[in-house]
Amino acid sequence: MNDKNPRVIKKIQKTFAKMSFPNIEVSLEGDVVHLEGSVDSWDDVVRLGYQAGKFKGVGEVVNNVKAKGVVPKKETRQKKKLTTKIYPPKLPKKADVVVVGGGVVGCCIARELSRYNLEVVLLEKEWDVGMGASKANSAQVHTGIGEDSGTLKKELCAKSWPMYEKLTEELDVPYLRNGLLVVMTKDTFSGKMPSFVGNFLSKYLIPPFVVRKGKIVGDKPRVVKRKELLEMEPNLTPRALVGVFHPGYALVCPFRLTIALAENAIQNGAKVFLDTEVTGVLVEDKKVEGVVTNRGMIEASFVINAAGVFSDDVAAMAGAKEFTIHPRKGVILLFDKEMESYITHQVSLLKFPRDPHTKGGAVLMTVDGNINWGPSAVEIPDKNGREVSKEEIDWVFEKYSSALPNFPKSSIIKFFSGIRAPTYKEDFYIKPAKNVRGFVNVAGIQSPGLTAAPAIAELALDILREQGLEMEEKEDFNPVREGIPIFEKLSSEKKREQIEQNPLYGKIVCRCEHVTEGEIVDAIHSPLPAVTVDAVKYRTRAGSGRCQAGFCGPRVARILARELGISEEEVMQKGDGSNLFMKSKVRKRGGKHA
Amino acid sequence: MHEVDVVVIGGGPAGMAAAISAYESGIEDVWLLERDYWVGGILPQCIHDGFGNFVFGEMLTGSEYAQRYINKLRETGVKVRPNTMVLKIDQNREITAVNPSDGLIEVKAKTIILSMGCRERTRYQVLIPGSRPAGIYTAGVIQRYINIEGLMPGKKVVILGSGDVGMIMARRLTLEGAKVKGVYEIMKTPGGLTRNVVQCLEDYNIPLHLSHTITNITGRYRVEGVTVAEVDPELRPIKETERYVPCDTVVLSVGLIPENELSKMAGVEIEEKTKGPAVDEQMQTSVPGIFACGNVVNVYDLVDDVSESAERAGKGAAASIGGKLERRKTPIRVKTGRNVNYIVPQIIRNKNLNESTRFYFRVKETEKSVRVVVSANGDKLLEKRERIVRPPEMVRINVPPDTLDKIKGDELTIDVEERKK
Repeated sequence: MNDKNPRVIKKIQKTFAKMSFPNIEVSLEGDVVHLEGSVDSWDDVVRLGYQAGKFKGVGEVVNNVKAKGVVPKKETRQKKKLTTKIYPPKLPKKADVVVVGGGVVGCCIARELSRYNLEVVLLEKEWDVGMGASKANSAQVHTGIGEDSGTLKKELCAKSWPMYEKLTEELDVPYLRNGLLVVMTKDTFSGKMPSFVGNFLSKYLIPPFVVRKGKIVGDKPRVVKRKELLEMEPNLTPRALVGVFHPGYALVCPFRLTIALAENAIQNGAKVFLDTEVTGVLVEDKKVEGVVTNRGMIEASFVINAAGVFSDDVAAMAGAKEFTIHPRKGVILLFDKEMESYITHQVSLLKFPRDPHTKGGAVLMTVDGNINWGPSAVEIPDKNGREVSKEEIDWVFEKYSSALPNFPKSSIIKFFSGIRAPTYKEDFYIKPAKNVRGFVNVAGIQSPGLTAAPAIAELALDILREQGLEMEEKEDFNPVREGIPIFEKLSSEKKREQIEQNPLYGKIVCRCEHVTEGEIVDAIHSPLPAVTVDAVKYRTRAGSGRCQAGFCGPRVARILARELGISEEEVMQKGDGSNLFMKSKVRKRGGKHA
Repeated sequence: MHEVDVVVIGGGPAGMAAAISAYESGIEDVWLLERDYWVGGILPQCIHDGFGNFVFGEMLTGSEYAQRYINKLRETGVKVRPNTMVLKIDQNREITAVNPSDGLIEVKAKTIILSMGCRERTRYQVLIPGSRPAGIYTAGVIQRYINIEGLMPGKKVVILGSGDVGMIMARRLTLEGAKVKGVYEIMKTPGGLTRNVVQCLEDYNIPLHLSHTITNITGRYRVEGVTVAEVDPELRPIKETERYVPCDTVVLSVGLIPENELSKMAGVEIEEKTKGPAVDEQMQTSVPGIFACGNVVNVYDLVDDVSESAERAGKGAAASIGGKLERRKTPIRVKTGRNVNYIVPQIIRNKNLNESTRFYFRVKETEKSVRVVVSANGDKLLEKRERIVRPPEMVRINVPPDTLDKIKGDELTIDVEERKK
């Protein structure tokens, strides 16, 4: 390592010593700080990473500091070979571009690339796309008001949100522009400030400031006085003082968007491989040559690293680890559709001073009508650590109860978590690798990554061009992708037609969400086939209602087995090892009636 | 739009009995809508015995019990429509349903009988933390997997909740070769019937851990284990007592909720305690012409009681079509007295009934040597001795029609009183 800037190193070392970590090794490579050493807790690891990132001239932090007692969890999953009637196809030997990671960003990049005469291959290690942060997030289309100016996050978010209406229409993805209310309450200023001062600030000083932030990103926000605020949201806490309404804020179904992007890419010639994990990156003469996977090798001169929370691991395989991802978990509570009309706009309560652990989060809803609260934000060492604790459930519930004080806890139908993939600079990291030509890191993607995905993809393509990829537009690119009909939302007339065309649309399989067998079968045979029970759920909503698959579980499993030509024991909930049934001597009966 | 006299929604034990009873009371135009491909509801998967002691005077399996009603149903002219899901009901008793052969069906019903039964509470509703792998099932679901589908959901099993289905599945899983590591119950007493504690757990040496709960589920793709802990009197887990139990399957038997989404759509008032519609002695709900019976009203202990309530609903619907019901001037509100949690029916609207009204109630706390007292305006009308009353076991008391007709006021109270020795 060449220590061209020993002054920064010395400064960092001095600060670490003050924090009583004198034994951390600090080195510099370009503008990337590398940290090595060992500390007592994971929180300390994260603190050191942030601290190093704060210094002027530090572009990113590679934090290899270990915490005592925190052992990286090994995957206990065994890869079984599942061969169905429709999956998997054979991996090609060569491609022009390989995209690693099938989250919303990877799929968006694959779709953008499919506009050109290129062999595009997207590799996803799970049995469906969007299985990481893309399926477990707030589903908001942000305008960028929450981001600091000068960040790439803000720039790409502000550029992307106006693209969403057209994008979701082309891709047939549910999109709801219901706006965000930023609300000031009597509790906005906590602490020692006298309440009349706090209330004055909240009522008169803060709102114009919030309005200006919204205007900068191209929205048309306005101040909403208390009376109108409570008319817009009658169930809102009576402690509310004033609000700012941001009409540009919208909601999208994040997993159906990811699936739709992948499918549209496939329709335009891209190839998507599920259950295909990149285990190595081939580099020769400082140039990327291809990737190695569990299904074989692919030669490619251009590789996009969009591996989300694992993007630093994939970068390391190419010798291009220029950042470290520190996983940050967010817990979300999902409520019964029965509460649908309780609140109709996205609501976030403003609070000062800001608690560093609770940034983000709001009272939200899904495009399907479930209110949801969250997410929280907790730093964790395990990239797969999606467990939700009792304390986290209580914490999220308490926090947002302050916005909706009488909301019943008994209407929780599900809780889940997603893992954000931030770097220590807390900004997107979208750059060609410094020492490996053709390898592009699209990393550090966290909120507002879902919103920013279209602009991220454009930027990634610009970088590929700079790296020497020749792109020739296709004449027959079709941006329109048609989704599976959602039976419940069709008019009576259309329902009749649909059943006439395909009687399976007259057979309700999921009682809570009224999902028909027709939708499930169509999902299984769509351009990106649904191979698991969860994949069926993400495409059709079967099993996402209040009974959580109590009724449709056995039926969906049967339909999957039948359509895929596999045994019921091979049916998986979400991937290898998540099989629903075990081999046994129980005598097989029935089977005709899925 | 079809016009039908009685439309029964749900073809489980309640729906079958209600349809038969309406038909036998002289209504020929009866439809029975069932979302599954056969009638019988949950009964066909209940291959253990213990059904029919009151109705048939013998111990049948659930499947046998269902078959007796299916046979009866065949003798009637009730039109059974399987594979039919009701999507919508409104206040005017207009129903939208769907099935593969008829497509979208629209029906205007003179009367509707709601008999959708109940559903199981899930892991999320009881807020069991942890990861979300495959291998977490409710007891009714694995009962279907094993007994109907012939599929084995797991080999090393931990059961949470000692409701009846949970205990029955502990035995069933054991018989199918699984190892049931234990049944954990958060309360101090078992949730189900005593006979099931003996016949399903004790006889098979399956440990029952009272005052225990699951505090965490681990495993990323499939369940790998659970953490269990003892709870304090406020039901909070005691951290120091936590221990890890490896398993591949978690079975939940943590309660049933009446399935009233359609009832609410039709504007039917739902009771807080029972989570079902408030009904009168005919099982009529707050919406005229809409009746309810079985587990949609409240979760009964025995299928015999479900059938009994359904029979009354069928007769009630028939009587209301025939204009045979005589309204009281002022309805009688049924009030819960000492140590009574809730009572069904909640209201008496009619007089000159030709049979006794059976009140079902649950107590709040276990009590020995008691008498059940029915009174109105301070006058004792009826009393009945009980050796022991327990919250999981419903108490029944019949009140003859003339006793009800004697009531002048608008209140009737049921108390559970200590018996002086």
